[in-house]
Amino acid sequence: MTSRELLALAVVAAPALTAVACAVAPRRSTFAVSVVGATAAAIAAAVFTVLAVGEPSTTVATAWLIVDPAGGVLVAVIGAVGLASVVVSPSYLGTVREGLVRPGRLPRLYYSLLFAFWAALAGVPVIGNLGGAWLLVEATTAASALLVGFSGKPRALEAGWKYLILTSLGLGVALLGVVLLAATGGGGLDGLSWHALAHTAPGGQTVLIAYLLLLAGLAAKIGWAPVHNWLPDAHSEAPAPVSALLSAALLPAVLLVAWRAGRALTPAVGATTAQSVLIGFGLLSLAVAVPFLWRPLPWKRLLAYSSLEHMGVIALGLGFGGPVALAGVVVHIAGHAAAKALGFYAAVPLLSHEPRAGGQPAGGVGRTEPALGVTMGVALGTLAGLPPSPLFVSELLIVAGGFASGRSWAAAVAAVLLALGFLGLAHALLDTLAGRVRDDSARGRAAGLRVVTILTGVTAAFLLALTSVALWLPGSELAHSLAAGVR
Amino acid sequence: MSGALAWLLVALGLGVVVVRRRSLAVALVTAQALVLAVRAHEEAGAAAALALRALVLGVLLLLVVSRTREPRPVRAGVAPLMRGGLAVTLALALTWLVPTLGLGSRNAERGVLALVAFGLVTVAARAATLFQVLGIVLVENGLALAALELHGGSSAAIELGVAFDLTLIATVAAVFHERIFAEFGSGDAAVLRTLRD
Repeated sequence: MTSRELLALAVVAAPALTAVACAVAPRRSTFAVSVVGATAAAIAAAVFTVLAVGEPSTTVATAWLIVDPAGGVLVAVIGAVGLASVVVSPSYLGTVREGLVRPGRLPRLYYSLLFAFWAALAGVPVIGNLGGAWLLVEATTAASALLVGFSGKPRALEAGWKYLILTSLGLGVALLGVVLLAATGGGGLDGLSWHALAHTAPGGQTVLIAYLLLLAGLAAKIGWAPVHNWLPDAHSEAPAPVSALLSAALLPAVLLVAWRAGRALTPAVGATTAQSVLIGFGLLSLAVAVPFLWRPLPWKRLLAYSSLEHMGVIALGLGFGGPVALAGVVVHIAGHAAAKALGFYAAVPLLSHEPRAGGQPAGGVGRTEPALGVTMGVALGTLAGLPPSPLFVSELLIVAGGFASGRSWAAAVAAVLLALGFLGLAHALLDTLAGRVRDDSARGRAAGLRVVTILTGVTAAFLLALTSVALWLPGSELAHSLAAGVR
Repeated sequence: MSGALAWLLVALGLGVVVVRRRSLAVALVTAQALVLAVRAHEEAGAAAALALRALVLGVLLLLVVSRTREPRPVRAGVAPLMRGGLAVTLALALTWLVPTLGLGSRNAERGVLALVAFGLVTVAARAATLFQVLGIVLVENGLALAALELHGGSSAAIELGVAFDLTLIATVAAVFHERIFAEFGSGDAAVLRTLRD
């Protein structure tokens, strides 16, 4: 086993072992254990990413493991957001009075589930087999559904239930696609490795049906329209650090599975079909998201609909293909993850500062709590694509990639929808920062604001650096390596 | 696969769509999985995974039923005959739309599509939360049938994967079901409709 393969295993093992450690450690040391585990997992992820992205042409693809640049990007996102979520978690837990279990046991359950979720999630980009990827994606559902319903409140139970049932049903449909691919590949599980799928999947109607079933099923987990119903509910009702992981890391990780499957099966189903399906989901998701971005929504719900929009943008970039659009996708995934996670972390101080913001739009936060206003402004401004946001550059790259790939009509429609989405979020940004301050007699101290403020500084610096990188990325070896796919 | 066996699996699945009692529906999906285990007798690993999964899920779900007695039956909103009709129509439509799955026998392919259709209709048309879980079990039983028709010795691995996944999901669903029952006094998904935009 090579050092890269060992690192891939470490990326999964570190959070998995921490989940066990949190479950058995004495109650008072749960947070300390979780910080040590999260740091170890984040370091493993960082080293893995440096190796995978630093030498993009050196891809390791065995029957069960894959180390490639695309996986490297996702592992970095999962590691960074995972670590930040653990750091923010005490502020969230400090606001929780009841939950799925007795109050004294809540932290232990929370951290165990969080790390179990992290471990399953970290496995998705490094697993080299479609069957294994399916199993890990389903495992993320089990752990994260309990986290969505963690508060035990009726709305959280409703959101968790919808998430569990709809995504499990979707993944059931995806599994039918996996089984059919196993049948066409000779029946063996080895035939489901990304490498083998790319070389052995024969053409014909069965492969096409299998691919469509797989994509339709995964769409339910990614949150693509029209099977996105669970997404706004789960993201708005989950604990804020979990919402960050769900939106910033889980959705793009599952999207990576869909992309890898499409790339591998392109010889069998045809490039036009594989790309058209992604573009179709992308445009539909954008079109469905935009009207909601124009509506006054509670902060976390607004961020959730923004996830729908951004998963649509990423789908478009993957569908357009080519170095320019794929460079845009890399920047978009990283920028979206940083800004969206920060946005969800801001919900912790926001909901203690202005409790009504859980059910109605936040207004005038820039005046009532300026530091929190800056955090929310950085997050929402970035997500809207306001220059110098890296998402402004990534969206330009993706649309340009669409024109370059000859999909002018799709690129033009996407540009119009993105402009409309920008206007909606820009309006929300103004309202949130400088809008009417609502009378809230329950307004209190913004819990966890210090941690979130520090994260804002780190995130803002990262986002500016990412904007610079975005200008260089399209001509890089990384972008060309992504365009070449699994070999 | 013989036509009689496929029909038996389909009939058990249709029973889940139309029956009223939760315990009877649990018995039907358990029987279905045990029939699949018997069908898999030539592959010991697959048969063991199916049988174990059937028994564990059966016990778990019956335990949940006994711990959450409904004061009155949860109304489905769609009458049993209508549900059955919808399920059969969707199954026939899928059979027509999906000409071939590439499995060992056409009977098995039709059985798989029928069970997937019945599972989807059960989730969509039943209001009781436990029936929604049973809809997922129906879909996965259909996938288990598909895996049994594969060549190349991977069915045991797939059955193990499905068994692990289904047990995990059913356990989480059981936790939710009990909490929903405790919070709302009923396992009726109709009460879970407050989150809308």
